[in-house]
Amino acid sequence: MEARIKNVMAAVFNMSPEQISDDASPHEIAAWDSLKHMNLVFALEEEFDIHFEEAEIASMVSLDIIAATIRAYAE
Amino acid sequence: MPQQEVTLKYSEILRRNAAFAGDLPAQRYRIALLSNVVVAHLKDLLEYELRVEEIPAVVTLGDYDNIVQDSAKSKDADLVILFWEAYNLIEGLQFKADLMDSDTVDALVVKVSTEIDFVFDNLKHTPLVLVNSFSAALFAGLSIGPRALDDLCARLNRHLGERAPRQARIVNLDQIITHLGVNASVDRRYLYSSKAPYTIAFLKAYAEAIKPYVMAARGKAKKALIFDCDNTLWKGVIGEDGMEGIEMSAATKVGAVFAEVQAIALALNRQGVVLGICSKNNPEDVDQVLRSHPDIQIRDRHLAVKRVNWQDKVSNLKEIARELNIGLDSLVMVDDSSFEVNLIREQLPQVTVLQVPESGHLYPGLLRASRGLFHTLSTTGEDRRKAEMYSEQSKRQADRVQFANLDDYLASLGTTLTIHRDNAAIVPRIAQLTQKTNQFNLTTRRYTEADIARMVADDHTAVFAFSVKDKFGESGVTGLCVVGINGKTATIDSFLMSCRVLGRRIELAFMDWLIEHLRCARIEQVKAKYLRTDKNAQVADYFDRCSFRLLEASEAQRCYALDVEAYRSTSAHNVEVIYGSADQERDGGSVQHVA
Repeated sequence: MEARIKNVMAAVFNMSPEQISDDASPHEIAAWDSLKHMNLVFALEEEFDIHFEEAEIASMVSLDIIAATIRAYAE
Repeated sequence: MPQQEVTLKYSEILRRNAAFAGDLPAQRYRIALLSNVVVAHLKDLLEYELRVEEIPAVVTLGDYDNIVQDSAKSKDADLVILFWEAYNLIEGLQFKADLMDSDTVDALVVKVSTEIDFVFDNLKHTPLVLVNSFSAALFAGLSIGPRALDDLCARLNRHLGERAPRQARIVNLDQIITHLGVNASVDRRYLYSSKAPYTIAFLKAYAEAIKPYVMAARGKAKKALIFDCDNTLWKGVIGEDGMEGIEMSAATKVGAVFAEVQAIALALNRQGVVLGICSKNNPEDVDQVLRSHPDIQIRDRHLAVKRVNWQDKVSNLKEIARELNIGLDSLVMVDDSSFEVNLIREQLPQVTVLQVPESGHLYPGLLRASRGLFHTLSTTGEDRRKAEMYSEQSKRQADRVQFANLDDYLASLGTTLTIHRDNAAIVPRIAQLTQKTNQFNLTTRRYTEADIARMVADDHTAVFAFSVKDKFGESGVTGLCVVGINGKTATIDSFLMSCRVLGRRIELAFMDWLIEHLRCARIEQVKAKYLRTDKNAQVADYFDRCSFRLLEASEAQRCYALDVEAYRSTSAHNVEVIYGSADQERDGGSVQHVA
């Protein structure tokens, strides 16, 4: 799942998946501003066919948290 | 590409659009997107939608809610999109509108109308301006209640209609929202948190909806709509079912769909779209339908070009383009056959191909949705006469037939011919084939089920039935050859194929196999006949092509003989032949019992 998330992040931030580290966050990815965050949410929702709550959207600021949030929907 | 069936995921669009960005030509198509809400995510979706059509689009976003000032800075753009959203004309208008007194509403209408006038004036030299109609659809719901926002939108839309300059087009936002549904269009989370009310699905649909305007502005509108005939203009196969058997009446269950399709085509024709026919058929059959079928709407006078023959459609479409003096990329072809559709897509990717959906009721919608392909920005009388001009031009030219080399394409299909001998399980289907097949039928002998059952059981008669499979699917039992055996001589009593599998060298591969099969059975000579009918002219020279010797020929028939050792293979290498199968063995066993 992390690989799929990285692929989506890479597409949204216009990077290659290898450039996205396991602890990627807005601090180290310059392109990760609020607008791109919205795009990321849309792309992830489409990719995993889920619909995030607003509180989740606000908290999803690292690869770990994103993966955990999506995993919670799968259960 | 218009033919792509699956919509791409947003992330995939982002990826592909980034890849396009690497090699755009210096001359870009500059689009300024001005809005009073956040639609930044439209940028990639719209760029991609246009870049796949080889329009090097680059979208520049205006500042948030700064349409009037930004319009003054966007004069040099090739296209300016005004994405003016009603609910954010003032903060929270969607709920404030119902509380406003009429003076306040009037003042707001005057303010926005004045801004609209400023913007239109700023853009009076911009080649193309697209402005959204104001919509309250996102907030309307099903409830009964005050609808102040609706009224406000109606007043502003009236103003837009009156003041829009010549080169402006109004994009009907309600239509897009209706098409998609409100709940699929609006993202209420981002509507409140970020003034970004629209979903990716909506913005994809929006990009698709405005594309025809850009295509027209770039001279990429399609000009001609070319139809196959059988199961495309009407239900049924004219060569098999005859005048009484085909249907296209609005009053019948199966005909209604085709009546609607013809009407949509005629409406396009009135707007200047050229209509044509490209069909594998006997020209007399199709002419008879066009002339005298009671339900036909498309007549000869509407058709600028007709290619009704047994030549491959790739060659025919090339000739059609040449005859009409337009590019192949101006053609849209409608056909029901997967074989033809894929042949054209692979050999002539410039041609847009619409395949008649298997579910007939989806067919009119498909054609209606494709009308945008033909959109032209101008609507002068000259456009309406264009169709007639093409028609005359076409009649002046009479091109000679020319065959394209299809070897590579045919080889790529992975065609398999499976032949069964004396399979009792399919006797009804075999009898039906002899009853219904007219065009590829060498002797046109009609047999009942009892006749076929008798021949299947008879040791001196071999009944070969075959089916055809390729990467697009399986045809079922579509061919038959009945061979009488007498000592060292075999006689081809019947040979026929359904028109569904024509044009793939099946008939040649079969004969290669048959002669080899007979040689192994120590047959030395094969006799064969072609019996002429009104329908089977296309196979008049079939045995000649298979290196049979012509013994005698008359108006009614041609008689042939072949010395098996002298047979020259037709080299139909694209077809793999399989003889028999487990099923056949089992069914073959049951034949013995029937016998």
